[in-house]
Amino acid sequence: MKCWSFVLLVLLLPSTICADDFFTSKIEPLFRERCFECHSHEYSIEAGLALDSRSGWENGGDSGTALVPGDPESSLLIKKVRWGDSDHQMPPDKKLPAAEIELLEEWVKRGAPDPRKMSSQKSDALDWWSLKPLKPVVIPASDIHPIDAFIHEKLNANDLKPTAIADRRTLIRRLYLDLHGLLPTPEEVNAFVADSDPQAWEKLIDKMLESPHYGERWARHWLDVIHYADSHGCEHDVKRPNAWRFRDYVIARLNADVSWERFVREQLAVDVFYPNEPQLIPALGFIASGPLELSRASTAPVTFDYLDRDDIVTQTMAAFASTTANCARCHTHKFDPITQEDYYSLQAVFAGVGKGDIEYDINAQVLERRLEMESLLTAAASLDSEVLLQSKYDEIVNQWTHDWEITQATPVQWNPLEADVFLASGGATLTKQDDGSIFASGTIADQEQYTFTSEVRLIRFTAIRLDVLRDDRHPEGGPGRAANGNLHLSEVDFHWFPDGEKTPVKLTIAHASADFDQEGWTSSRAIDGDLKTGWAIYPEVNKSHFIVFEFSEPIDTTQEGRLAITLKQLYPPKHVIGRFRVSATDAEGTSTRILPENIQIALQKPEDSRSQADRTLIAAMALKKHARQTLSELPEKAVVYGVSSSWSHAKKLPQPMEPKVVHLLRRGDIDKPIREVSPGTISAISGLPGRFELSNSNQESLRRAALADWLVHRENPLTWRSIVNRVWQYHFRHGICDTPNDFGRMGGEPTHPELLDWLAIWFRDQGQGSLKELHRLILTSDTWKQASILESVSDRCLEVDRDNRLLWRMNRFRLDADSFRDSTLRISGRLDLTVGGEGIEQFVKTAGPQATPVLDYTQFDWNSKTAHRRSIYRVVWRGIPDPFMEALDFPDLALLTPKRNFSVSALQSLTLYNNNFVLHASGWIADRVKSEVPAEQQVERAVQLCWQREPTRTELKSFEAYSTTHGLRALCRVLLNSNEYLFID
Amino acid sequence: MIEMQHGIDRRNFLGNIGGGLCGIAMAHMLARDGVVSASSSDPALKGGLHHVPKVKRIIQLFMTGGASPMDTFDYKPELERLHGQKLGPTEKPEGFTAMPGPLMKSPFKFKQYGECGRWVSDVFPHKAKWVDEMTFLMAMVSKTNVHGPGTYMMNSGFLLPGFPCMGAWISYALGNLTDNLPTFVVLPDAKGLPYNQRGPFSSGFLPAVHQGTVINATSNTAIPDLFADEQFEFATDSANREGLALLNEVNQSHAEQRINDSRLDARIRSYELAAKMQLSAPEAFDISNESQSTQQAYGLGQNETDDFGRRCLLARRLIERDTRFVQIWSGPQGATGNWDNHGSIPNELPPIARSVDQPIAALIGDLKSRGLFEDTLLIWTTEFGRTPFAQGGEGRDHNGGSFVTWFAGAGVKPGIAHGQSDEWGYKAAEGTTYCYDFHATILHLLGIDHKRLTFRQNGIDRRLTDVHGHVIHEILD
Repeated sequence: MKCWSFVLLVLLLPSTICADDFFTSKIEPLFRERCFECHSHEYSIEAGLALDSRSGWENGGDSGTALVPGDPESSLLIKKVRWGDSDHQMPPDKKLPAAEIELLEEWVKRGAPDPRKMSSQKSDALDWWSLKPLKPVVIPASDIHPIDAFIHEKLNANDLKPTAIADRRTLIRRLYLDLHGLLPTPEEVNAFVADSDPQAWEKLIDKMLESPHYGERWARHWLDVIHYADSHGCEHDVKRPNAWRFRDYVIARLNADVSWERFVREQLAVDVFYPNEPQLIPALGFIASGPLELSRASTAPVTFDYLDRDDIVTQTMAAFASTTANCARCHTHKFDPITQEDYYSLQAVFAGVGKGDIEYDINAQVLERRLEMESLLTAAASLDSEVLLQSKYDEIVNQWTHDWEITQATPVQWNPLEADVFLASGGATLTKQDDGSIFASGTIADQEQYTFTSEVRLIRFTAIRLDVLRDDRHPEGGPGRAANGNLHLSEVDFHWFPDGEKTPVKLTIAHASADFDQEGWTSSRAIDGDLKTGWAIYPEVNKSHFIVFEFSEPIDTTQEGRLAITLKQLYPPKHVIGRFRVSATDAEGTSTRILPENIQIALQKPEDSRSQADRTLIAAMALKKHARQTLSELPEKAVVYGVSSSWSHAKKLPQPMEPKVVHLLRRGDIDKPIREVSPGTISAISGLPGRFELSNSNQESLRRAALADWLVHRENPLTWRSIVNRVWQYHFRHGICDTPNDFGRMGGEPTHPELLDWLAIWFRDQGQGSLKELHRLILTSDTWKQASILESVSDRCLEVDRDNRLLWRMNRFRLDADSFRDSTLRISGRLDLTVGGEGIEQFVKTAGPQATPVLDYTQFDWNSKTAHRRSIYRVVWRGIPDPFMEALDFPDLALLTPKRNFSVSALQSLTLYNNNFVLHASGWIADRVKSEVPAEQQVERAVQLCWQREPTRTELKSFEAYSTTHGLRALCRVLLNSNEYLFID
Repeated sequence: MIEMQHGIDRRNFLGNIGGGLCGIAMAHMLARDGVVSASSSDPALKGGLHHVPKVKRIIQLFMTGGASPMDTFDYKPELERLHGQKLGPTEKPEGFTAMPGPLMKSPFKFKQYGECGRWVSDVFPHKAKWVDEMTFLMAMVSKTNVHGPGTYMMNSGFLLPGFPCMGAWISYALGNLTDNLPTFVVLPDAKGLPYNQRGPFSSGFLPAVHQGTVINATSNTAIPDLFADEQFEFATDSANREGLALLNEVNQSHAEQRINDSRLDARIRSYELAAKMQLSAPEAFDISNESQSTQQAYGLGQNETDDFGRRCLLARRLIERDTRFVQIWSGPQGATGNWDNHGSIPNELPPIARSVDQPIAALIGDLKSRGLFEDTLLIWTTEFGRTPFAQGGEGRDHNGGSFVTWFAGAGVKPGIAHGQSDEWGYKAAEGTTYCYDFHATILHLLGIDHKRLTFRQNGIDRRLTDVHGHVIHEILD
């Protein structure tokens, strides 16, 4: 089509048409076809040049004036389209056909006639309901519930009438599903029906909002919106065993009714806003909730970065602001005022974090303690007297000094060990000396390992001492065999072989100390598990030295056995031990520990003659021990799948990264970066700047905090409209705006804009962001309490508002997958209402060909211990969904799901009729009924449980007949498949 | 539209749930555009959505892992000349798993076949006999060299998860041809699911009814939950049958009190359809009815070909009984037993090629002789190609630069090839074909204009072809 019109254009001779027509018929289509993608307000304004208005080319772009009317040779545009040299090539992909270049030359030669006016598109773009500021709205009537006032006004205007309030059975069923995702029991229904308290409804709402099951129900909505799952999805669909902490966080925060502002801040930057509440760190699971492409992370890292952030940006802006920022990835948003630069600025917000397992302290006290102890360790290492000599530590230091003095009063008895086996695996020859020590001679291997076994003639032992002895036969007198007399003890292992048992016990070393440590080669390095580090003694050669290893538990030798010691001397080469002796002690506590010489000297001075330096040394020693001890006793950190600057490409980094550079990409192509962008957001909200001014833009957390600030700003109309609209939708099944993730021009427009704004302001101000207050407000309106069943539907209703968008009645709804499963379990009497904890796997898992396992849902044991927990606690495998839940429209969690689908199909009905879960549940319900009532009441009871009403006489008759022939279980199966069970009026 | 409440005409809606003449897309779009009233489709379109279709049903064969073009259908004499020379990229390109090695010729012999003279290597002796029936796309291109995204791309047109696959779009657009069987059936390799697990068969944001029904061809219970498991003794045949009748009764009386809610009626009808499927499906899935010679032709009973052959035969039975779209996968995800031959082309490619070669040849012959090629399209494809450079000696790495796809059957010109790769087979040289063009062409054959098949999701009118796609008219018959 385009080709043809172009051919026609070329055929027309330029001189036969007037100047403006020449532009309109030839040049503008050419611009549109060839240039607008990068040079128009509709798509993108690259290099600052817009060609969609006369003023665009008149003003020129970053490289200056685009053209000189009348002079093609001086016109940059002409030079570019001719592909003059490599810097001047437009369009960049492919040179224009010669005929089109000639047309452009001709146009410029003629003086560049261009009848177009300034593009008006930009200014119109802001004229859209969702971007307009929230302005106070007057409630249309003051004597009724405000929501009813707005709804009735619109109904009146359309000559429609609301429907009467539904009966109490219908109301309580509706309320239970709405707030808890569970059907009520017949007893709960009867109690409410019979309740004469005028406040019965309000009290019921309050009771249900206070229940922990409220949070379980409403957390599911949020998890749908943000595509939370317990596995990565994509090619390597690996489980995230710690993701559930975020799920529990959402449940807990909804139950606590935290304000919306705070909820937003926590999920984007809890680390910045609430640094003293470490237990809230799981909130960062929000940013990590989407899929992760592991294979792309390793083989296509640049693409990975952009696409992973794209998902985060899409989710964040859709969830909090109902905005489709991602539409601007390849070009400036076609319909909404979101530029490509805005979009990449949002990417920059998240450029400093990656997804991974994040550790956090379980409460503030633990965190505070940990931070204090870590700072003490730092102070001890740097001998910071200001910290160490604080009076609050006096007691600890004095106690330590006191203990030291006591241990020094009784010198440690070291009992030399008699080696029965000693060998060198590197090639040295070991010989026992007269004094019992072992001497090494012969080959000096690059790497050496001595193994030494011995009995221990003590009832128990607490520490082992290794003496390395000087000897004139070694270079520089040893004690090592390196040319300089040094040695390196890379690692040491102790194993205890009890007599008569085959497997040895590996002994845990709690501490190592030596009489002298070479700088960087300290005694602790011999027990750090790292083969490249170790203990050494240079330059103190030509002297004997010793190192003491304390065990974490005393070793009981009443059952006789043998101690095996391995001395690894691996790195650097040839630093092997020349002569050594091993001894053991049963001395208690830390009496065996060797203190550095300078501290020993300080300790030996009388207390009042110690200098500040002495006291600092002593305090450093005492407090280091105290801090290490305290840290080891603190409760372990918990782990959540979240984000931090210490993760990138699904790998943990040795240290936090600087934020990555984000470029504006031409057409979203990673090979076509245009320029670097700074962190920001969309610029279209008046009064809220779209680029962030950060005190330190390299501190990535400030970027996230700035986005949170922007979102929760009271003047940000998107955020407040977004959340009240979502809540409205979950109560009524349609939002006031029915595209809850998109308030842009491609989305819907609100049916009741005044009500939406009134709710947004009410929620923000009076409601103080409390979702529970918002629920109360909505649930107490007559609008919500209307019946959905009408005796007859007037033609007027169908004609004016067939879809019931104006709410002339309540919307009937089908149980969603989770509600169906949970309600069925509740009816069966088996629902396990345990709150929180690790996810439950309702499948049989076996190893797959690669990282992704094979899940078999059909083999799951429905009588197992975890089978009856609420659905929200299921492990949701992103790429291998549960076919049963899926049949009932449980969403594909590769996607953001602001609203569940409703589908009907033969396959769905087959699932409901024949799936193991439903058939087991049919049996459980029948068993329950049989255990509760005599045979003649069982059918009635089954109907009460499933439908929360009495059966009619006709129903009872046919149910009895069926049940008599096929059994109560078969009848329960029919009831669970009935529309009366699946739909709530 | 998604939550159909009160607004959709009942007859039309019932049609959509699997019983009727047209798909949801058709009804929805026609109604929305006001072109015709929502309850009628234009008989002149003969089942197409926008124009008269040439194809009504499709079997797609998908080679998991990235089938090597230069070792199968894309003969490259230049590789023989330059074998062993290091002429490739000097840095690891995005998406390659390793640094490219020297150029590597194919270890297999190529010969020309048929009247068209297509070159085929000796890994496909059976398929080679049918080249005059095939229409080749010799320069297919992917935007990625990574399996997961590549598999998504060839199925849904997007690199990211969450988008409906082609089968789902077709089901959404055209609805079904029969009530007796699922509309879109997926037959994964017995050894396991492809990359992205069930992602490539997802209906994404389209209603779940359009997703692929995954069928285990070796299981007794092919369609999941078609019947109750034997452990439930109360679910006897008569309890099932009379239970459905009782259910119908209670649902009818429930619906009578709740006028004007098409969803209730739709659910009533869905149980009627379920009962029909229970009657028809077991026969369709029972390949023991096929003659011994047919089973042999497909390679049943031979170790290497049994699984793929069984699924090809099953696909033919389903297509014959009006399932609209059947997708057969060769190879599971993972490092072995598929087309991802990083380690050794001479050792790894022949066995996987043998497992499909005879069955596919048999399928072509069978479809043709039964007249099914009149309105059935057979598609052979993969997620991307492989490098002309060696990996680790004699393997080949991933390469989105060029790969081969072929069609056979209705609506396409047999015995021709469109496009060609460069002299090494590294990149497409002419007639470059993206998944968008591939999908646009298939939709076109089905009577659908790919630009007009849309679904609004979170503010975007989504298409199978995103914002791209050109029908490849050169190959259309």
